[in-house]
Amino acid sequence: MNGLKRILLVEDDPKDVELTLTGLGEYNLANEVVVVRDGEEALDFLFRRGQYQKRPNGNPAVMLLDLKLPKVNGFEVLEAIRADEKLKMVPVVVLTSSNEERDLVRSYKLGVNAYVTKPVDFHEFVNAVKELGVFWAVINEPPPGSVKRT
Amino acid sequence: MKTPGQVWERAVTARVSKGAIARYGFAVASVAVAVAAGYLLNYLGLDETVFAVFMFAIAATSWFSGSLPAIVAFVLSALSFNFFFTPPPYRVDFTRTDFAYSSAFLVFAGLAIASDTMRRRAEAAVRQSRDELELRVIERTAELKASEEILRERANLLDLTHDTIFVRRMDNVITYWNRGANELYGWSSHEALGRPSHALLHTEFSEALEQINAKLFQTNRWEGELVHATRDGRRLVVSSRWSLQRNERGEPFAILETNTDITERKRAEEALRESRDELEVKVKERTAQLSKANEELQSVNKELEAFAYSVSHDLRAPVRHIAGFGELLQKHARDALDESSRRHLGLILDSANRMGTLVDDLLAFSRIGRAETQRTTVNVERLVRSVVADNAPDAQNRNIEWQIGELPICQGDPSMLRLVVSNLVSNALKFTRTREPARIEIGSLKHRPEEVVFFVKDNGVGFDMKYKDKLFGVFQRLHSQEAFEGTGIGLATVQRIVHGHAGRVWAEGAIDQGAIFYVALPATKGRL
Repeated sequence: MNGLKRILLVEDDPKDVELTLTGLGEYNLANEVVVVRDGEEALDFLFRRGQYQKRPNGNPAVMLLDLKLPKVNGFEVLEAIRADEKLKMVPVVVLTSSNEERDLVRSYKLGVNAYVTKPVDFHEFVNAVKELGVFWAVINEPPPGSVKRT
Repeated sequence: MKTPGQVWERAVTARVSKGAIARYGFAVASVAVAVAAGYLLNYLGLDETVFAVFMFAIAATSWFSGSLPAIVAFVLSALSFNFFFTPPPYRVDFTRTDFAYSSAFLVFAGLAIASDTMRRRAEAAVRQSRDELELRVIERTAELKASEEILRERANLLDLTHDTIFVRRMDNVITYWNRGANELYGWSSHEALGRPSHALLHTEFSEALEQINAKLFQTNRWEGELVHATRDGRRLVVSSRWSLQRNERGEPFAILETNTDITERKRAEEALRESRDELEVKVKERTAQLSKANEELQSVNKELEAFAYSVSHDLRAPVRHIAGFGELLQKHARDALDESSRRHLGLILDSANRMGTLVDDLLAFSRIGRAETQRTTVNVERLVRSVVADNAPDAQNRNIEWQIGELPICQGDPSMLRLVVSNLVSNALKFTRTREPARIEIGSLKHRPEEVVFFVKDNGVGFDMKYKDKLFGVFQRLHSQEAFEGTGIGLATVQRIVHGHAGRVWAEGAIDQGAIFYVALPATKGRL
């Protein structure tokens, strides 16, 4: 079920998942998304362990990361992958409800590549997600070891 | 006591020595008396004694009148004796016997004169030495008087001092007591002299007497505090200085004690210490209260922060979902819905968006108090022009007369002050929406040197002055949502920022007469 996909979406709220996929769907990127529901699952996926032990090799071209997550939160995920030699180059975009400055500062300190606050307005939200997907999954040249565009 | 002889001698001497005439007269007179006495003795048949009478006259003259009158008396005696009493009578006729008599006279006169001269010399010597002695006695008396004077002066000086000075022997018996001691202790010098001082004054020592004495004998000095009692039983604290006096052999024989009454000073010190202690206790209590309040405040603040954080994360999500899925519904089911349902869906979306704005505004407002502020020089005029430019889209298709005057430069946080200006300008734009033309004036007042004041004035719908205090409250609105949309947080934000800059904000206005909002900021460094 988890083939090679370029976008890893880490989001615990199914409604946000749906809205995000709606946004990405506008550019037909919805099929490029793997969704995980918490930080632990995200790390399992990235480190190919647990249920993702047998997934094919290759890092996502971008990870869309929520901060407030069950079990392992977004900061901890970020910390773990930045400490790993193979994963440290994976582009990470924080996609969160919060526009608290301390979250922003902490994220950048941990080496995030972009920080996006989910707009309340649906059109703004869809636009934001769409543009993110296009930029990171289509326009941007990902680091070596990432899943290539098919 | 003088003997009668001396008195007589003095009297005669005084008279005789008055002059040469008297002295030589005495010589002639004594010879004449001798002649008369010779006749009397002859008549009585005592011829042999006449010679002795003349001897006596010579001796007397020598004694009383001196050497030269004695020689005159000798010559006269020799002649008179020859003339009156040796044969032939009444004739001066020197025979061999006469010569013998004369020689005897001469020898006798010489002896008398010599002895008298010696006597006089002795007398003069005695007189001189007596005079010298007298002089020395006078001198010594004067010296003694002078030194007595000095001593008295010194004693007076010791009496003049306010310090209490007394001297006591090694057995503690008082031998000197000055007026200061009298005044301090109430004991007169008469009463104190001869009494042991420690008993008289009920001395309480601050350290053991043995220690005091050890120090005194080692260094000849001791200083410390003592407690003494006065005659009427008052207790005094004195600062006491003892000096040990030693004789030529180095043996101690007296102690000079100088005392200063420091009872009042001690009492004042004690009072001071007590009040300081009290103050310290109060300060501690107050500090404890404050730190407790501070702790409470901090915990409240933390809770508030956690609340805001959670609002930021969790409250926005459902609003976003309502808006998001509402939009999707509207997009996909628009044609399936009837008119009234479409209106309801529109209202839901409207409310969701408004809720989103409200949450964001509220979060921004709560952040003002928590955010780190910086302070730099802010050019208010540049800020205003930039804000006006930002609001250009809202001003499109409207007839607005902007009037931007000279604006001050102040100290503050640029992004915060931008929020202030931005809120005031967008309010002015909003509430002049019904005006044709709308007039918005931004200017400054120069009424006081210690603060800069700028204002935003419009000709909009204004407000009732009786609600002027409600203007700046959170969620306070003076207009219906239909007339003028808004969350009621803008002016609260303005006030919070201005207060954070140690400034003031106030408004004037009247219904349909426009409004004017003033912001006063400290001219130099206000606390942020």
